[in-house]
Amino acid sequence: MSKSSAARQILAEAVNAGAETIPEDARIGTYERWDSLAHLRLLLTIEQKLGRALDADEVVRIESLADVAAILGEQS
Amino acid sequence: MTTRPAGQSIDIATARFRLRTLTPADASARWQDWGKDPQVMGPLNAPVRDMPLNYLANYAASFDNEHRHLIGIFDKASDTHIGFFIIEIDRVHRCATFNVVIGDKIWWGKSVVNETRAALLDHFFERRGVEKAIGSPLARNFPAVFNYKAQGWRHEGTLRGHRLSVNDGARLDQYQFGLLRDDWRKLRKAGA
Repeated sequence: MSKSSAARQILAEAVNAGAETIPEDARIGTYERWDSLAHLRLLLTIEQKLGRALDADEVVRIESLADVAAILGEQS
Repeated sequence: MTTRPAGQSIDIATARFRLRTLTPADASARWQDWGKDPQVMGPLNAPVRDMPLNYLANYAASFDNEHRHLIGIFDKASDTHIGFFIIEIDRVHRCATFNVVIGDKIWWGKSVVNETRAALLDHFFERRGVEKAIGSPLARNFPAVFNYKAQGWRHEGTLRGHRLSVNDGARLDQYQFGLLRDDWRKLRKAGA
């Protein structure tokens, strides 16, 4: 089953790629387009979506597309 | 005081960069500008300030190249100084604490930190007797957190309210990341 469209879209925008090109198993350290600035954009967008700052436990947990979906409260 | 320290200096090349011990002669307007840039200093929770050239020269001279290292990052193609590492060695416990600043924002998001830090990890693990590397980014320094994770460091803990913000006095969370020499060797064998 594919990861939620919102998570995929947010990550796609952060890495400046089409949502359809995001690998299902996209992860820090293996998905090359996911660099440090993309990570900054990703987390700031997640905070915007949630309407609050991520806490330290949440920040350090986000390292995959699945984690983005989870933090947005979406099913994978 | 602008004399050279007596310890062993470092000069290492990576694919794109040269890493070498900074000397008082490396004090420059470029380096000064980083200290005045809130985008550079903010994620480090360091005060924005105008540091005179003689201050930077004395700062560079204060490193002994044995327990404390100040290592410049230079773009090999242009020989331009783009950032630096500060590495502090705990000889008793054979640990090295890494701090890094990429002052030239043109290089942000271009894997400078992990390319250069990999070479320094090799150096300190294999040639200087270090057995553990430590990094302590602020929790809000998202690019730094990314770099530690991407390089295979482990999140070992979160220090709640461990730092006082230089901007507004708020208490800031900080992480500890660690990397053991044996784990680094395994990562290198796996292609890191």
